[in-house]
Amino acid sequence: MHAGSSNRLKRLVAAFAALLVALVLVPSQAQALTTEKATARPNEDGGSGVIGGIPTRLTWEGVVEDGESITSVTLTLPNGASFDNSTTKVTVLDNLTRIPNDATATPSGNTIAVKLSDPAKAGYKLRLEIEDMTFPSEGGDVVVNGSYESAGKTQELAPSKPIATIANTWLQQMVSFLDAQPWVQAWNSNQFLGMFLKPQLILTSLFSLFPGWLVCLGIVVVAYPFAILLGLVFALMKLSKFRVVRAIAVVYINVLRGTPLFLQIYIMFFGLPMMNINIDNNVLGVIVMAINSSAYLAEIFRAGIESIPTGQYEAAASLGMGRLMTMVNIILPQTVRRVIPTVTSDFIMAFKDTSLLSSVGVMELMMFSKNLTSVTGNMTPYVTAAIFYLIVTLPLIKVVTIIEKRIARSERGGGPRPKAKVADAKQDDEQTPAEPEGAEATLASALSAPFRAGTSVFGGVADVR
Amino acid sequence: MHNMSRRSFIKGGSLLAGMGAIALVGCGGGQQPAADAGSADAAAADASTIMLVTEGKLTCISNMYFPPFEFMDEKTGEAKGFDIDLSRELAKHMGLEANWTKESNMGFDTLVPTISSVDYAGGKATGKADIAIAGMTITDKRKQEVDMSDPYLDSNQSLVLRKDSEETLETLNAEGKKIAVQDGTTGEEWARENLTVADAAKGIVKLDDIINAMNGLNSKTYDAVITDLPVAKYQIETEKNYADLKVAEAIPTGEQYGIAVSKKNPALTAAINKALKEMVEDGTMKKLQVTWFGSEV
Amino acid sequence: MFDKAKAKVEARREAHRVPPALDAEQAASEAHERDKGLTKHHFEPHEHPCVRIEHLMKTFDGETQVLTDVNLTVWPGEVVCVLGPSGSGKSTMLRCINLLETPTAGHILIEDKEITGHLVTKEVNKLRQNLGMVFQSFNLFPNLTAKGNVMIGQTKVLKKSKAEAEAEALKQLDAVGLLDRADFKPAQLSGGQQQRVAIARAVAMHPDILLFDEPTSALDPELVRGVLDVMRDLAENGGMTMIVVTHEMGFAREVADRVVFMEGGVVVEQGTPEMVFDNPQNPRTAQFLGSIG
Repeated sequence: MHAGSSNRLKRLVAAFAALLVALVLVPSQAQALTTEKATARPNEDGGSGVIGGIPTRLTWEGVVEDGESITSVTLTLPNGASFDNSTTKVTVLDNLTRIPNDATATPSGNTIAVKLSDPAKAGYKLRLEIEDMTFPSEGGDVVVNGSYESAGKTQELAPSKPIATIANTWLQQMVSFLDAQPWVQAWNSNQFLGMFLKPQLILTSLFSLFPGWLVCLGIVVVAYPFAILLGLVFALMKLSKFRVVRAIAVVYINVLRGTPLFLQIYIMFFGLPMMNINIDNNVLGVIVMAINSSAYLAEIFRAGIESIPTGQYEAAASLGMGRLMTMVNIILPQTVRRVIPTVTSDFIMAFKDTSLLSSVGVMELMMFSKNLTSVTGNMTPYVTAAIFYLIVTLPLIKVVTIIEKRIARSERGGGPRPKAKVADAKQDDEQTPAEPEGAEATLASALSAPFRAGTSVFGGVADVR
Repeated sequence: MHNMSRRSFIKGGSLLAGMGAIALVGCGGGQQPAADAGSADAAAADASTIMLVTEGKLTCISNMYFPPFEFMDEKTGEAKGFDIDLSRELAKHMGLEANWTKESNMGFDTLVPTISSVDYAGGKATGKADIAIAGMTITDKRKQEVDMSDPYLDSNQSLVLRKDSEETLETLNAEGKKIAVQDGTTGEEWARENLTVADAAKGIVKLDDIINAMNGLNSKTYDAVITDLPVAKYQIETEKNYADLKVAEAIPTGEQYGIAVSKKNPALTAAINKALKEMVEDGTMKKLQVTWFGSEV
Repeated sequence: MFDKAKAKVEARREAHRVPPALDAEQAASEAHERDKGLTKHHFEPHEHPCVRIEHLMKTFDGETQVLTDVNLTVWPGEVVCVLGPSGSGKSTMLRCINLLETPTAGHILIEDKEITGHLVTKEVNKLRQNLGMVFQSFNLFPNLTAKGNVMIGQTKVLKKSKAEAEAEALKQLDAVGLLDRADFKPAQLSGGQQQRVAIARAVAMHPDILLFDEPTSALDPELVRGVLDVMRDLAENGGMTMIVVTHEMGFAREVADRVVFMEGGVVVEQGTPEMVFDNPQNPRTAQFLGSIG
């Protein structure tokens, strides 16, 4: 009876202790091996999540308490997790020094038993890195439990802090499906195909690179209007009649065009914070791209403005228009049409140049693919990145070609004729290079008609009142 | 089956007395360690045929922004560092000559793919290099792509801060913090795995090389850098620009550096392991460590 | 450096030194004396010329002398046709009048106000509003419709309302017979139509003086008539002062109050069309008319 009551008391105490543990959330029992942490390597392509059902690495660390010596550790995960096919790296550390130890790990389903060749002494840190284990596919917070053996006695390990995992996605299931396909295996066994065009990676990287692609697009799309404005300002400055203003523009344009964008990025990203100017990476990316493009655009605009015949300036002047008024109302509207192909080409360049921002850690397309490549040791993500770039650049290249063709056509003289009646004109005037018979009479070509002053495009049209 | 991969790694490691042995256990046989097993078997069966990209030379690649392990001489642009010297000694022990050229410097992320893509068809090596030696930690992931030699050096991670910074690993794990790491390194893995809040908020900034990370920390672009402890120590001690930086915390990870060799060239891996063992025994390794770290590691 | 440049300009000016512009009254009476037999213009008492050119000189790039010494007066409402072989400087003289070219030396006075020398930009713009110009190559704004071309000067320079400007534009386009082409872009119009739009554009500004710089030279022969008809209409019914540089002898003979023949940068001969065409005094004029006629 006495014994019984004492037993009961023991149980009570134990229950109380357990309650305390639950309350304080610190494994403060007489633990000989304290769980320091349990973490898992993110295995979400391009993301930071830990996905269940696909291989990852579990790292568990524990510290041996005073007066103990640990001979083995067993870790247990919830049902659905698996240590099968895993490899385990066991590291025993005394502070920063490695302690030689031969260990064997025996995985079995959701538990793994690690036996040390020499007992780990007090103060040692035990570090288990279990590569290629999987968490339960359904995801959720996973707690690592287990037990350890010290001086022949087996005791429970305090549960670890939960590791947040997410459910296996259809994408990962697709990958697993591909993994199992014989043709995929055959494809990948070819060195080149496997290294550059691995189907599984093409599939996953299409999704994981997407945010990077959006960042690229976002940066260049936000930057470009500013670049156009700045470019216009500097183009006009370069055409100014004031020597000083011209000089400023020339220096700005030449310095930016004469140095690599890479360098400008470095200066901005490492220089500005040094002056205590702290700007968000993406915003800084926008600023660098805008400034860089503005120099190129300034030259494009200047050339465009200078290509407008002097007759246009004279006609405006003869109406009494001032320089600025002429520029805004007459010259610039004509310039816009002329520079569209070149500006589009420059836009393509700028879009591709955003890749340089990866060198300073802007999370754009190249950055994502670089990460993925370094994680997987495979070049396929770069190929996927190329696809993403092409999605934008190919249509634009096509657009440039179409516009150029259209302009070339209308320079020869296109557009609908005001009158159908054609007199037998003698094309003797050199200012009349029109070939109206051959010109296609479409509305589109009319709208993009040549902006060449002094050009009579319809030499053959009767002009009798 | 277990012992297969154990042999190739643990045995070599334990032979490197004084450097700390590695306990690495291949489990479950069949699938993953097949390559390891293959390399061990092939090494035993056909140890004599070492295939080299350039005959008589051990051609190396690295990422040259990782002092004191590898860096380019400021004036000559020559490759220098612990790993470079190690490779030269290694080659000497193998009766070869280490081959470092201007093309030896590559992005860290491309080192493993470069080595794994060397073609050995017909017993002839065609590719860029025979080995990658770049302060590269031996991980099971890397070992799926390439063979790693026995470890030649122990390392840990470290947290580098500006001297006036009060940050800790706990306070850094928050939204809005920027932690710079080198792309594709164990430092990056450690940061992403342990600083999960910062990572989810895109706060782990991956850079091409560690010099960029240190410069960015110096210029307040980043709040912290996580990198290999020897590198951080060396940089802060030798580079006067980093006078305002400190190693705030050593992060014990007990990782080990190894040399990456193609899985299709097991004889080379075996020869390297043999040479490494000799270098420990004849004191070369010790000499190198004193040269570059001031003392034995 | 600046001093050197200044000295150079000064030296050039010295070389091109011309007598100062005459007093308005004196000039008017002298010009009246000189011109009264040479033009069909009906002089009002005490009338002053609206354009007075004295000793006008123009060199390009400091070398090519295009105008050596041009002296000419034009009276309000007078139609003056300037003839001469190409290179004689007639276009340059015309362009000097609205300062599209800056005279090297000499004086140009519009309504007795000197425009040569130092005019600020604002004054130049003001001056040009009063001087309509029609170019050989039309110089329509290709991005605007015919109507837009006629409107833009009114809305931007004269600050007229859009509706007002549009009404005026349609009126002027109607006057040149192109009301139905109001919404066409220049590229969709024939050369003759473009030139007529250009005339409408100039007239819509209601200038006192219209300058025509070989307005039909770039046109195919069959398109010339339409343009000349418009100009004749302007001359006969508009009462506008017109200075027309042209090769159209027929037009000059019919419409001009006075014909001026230029060669080598000077006015060689002037007089009524009958005087110049039927009885040229200068052998160069005779030769030129002979080769043209």
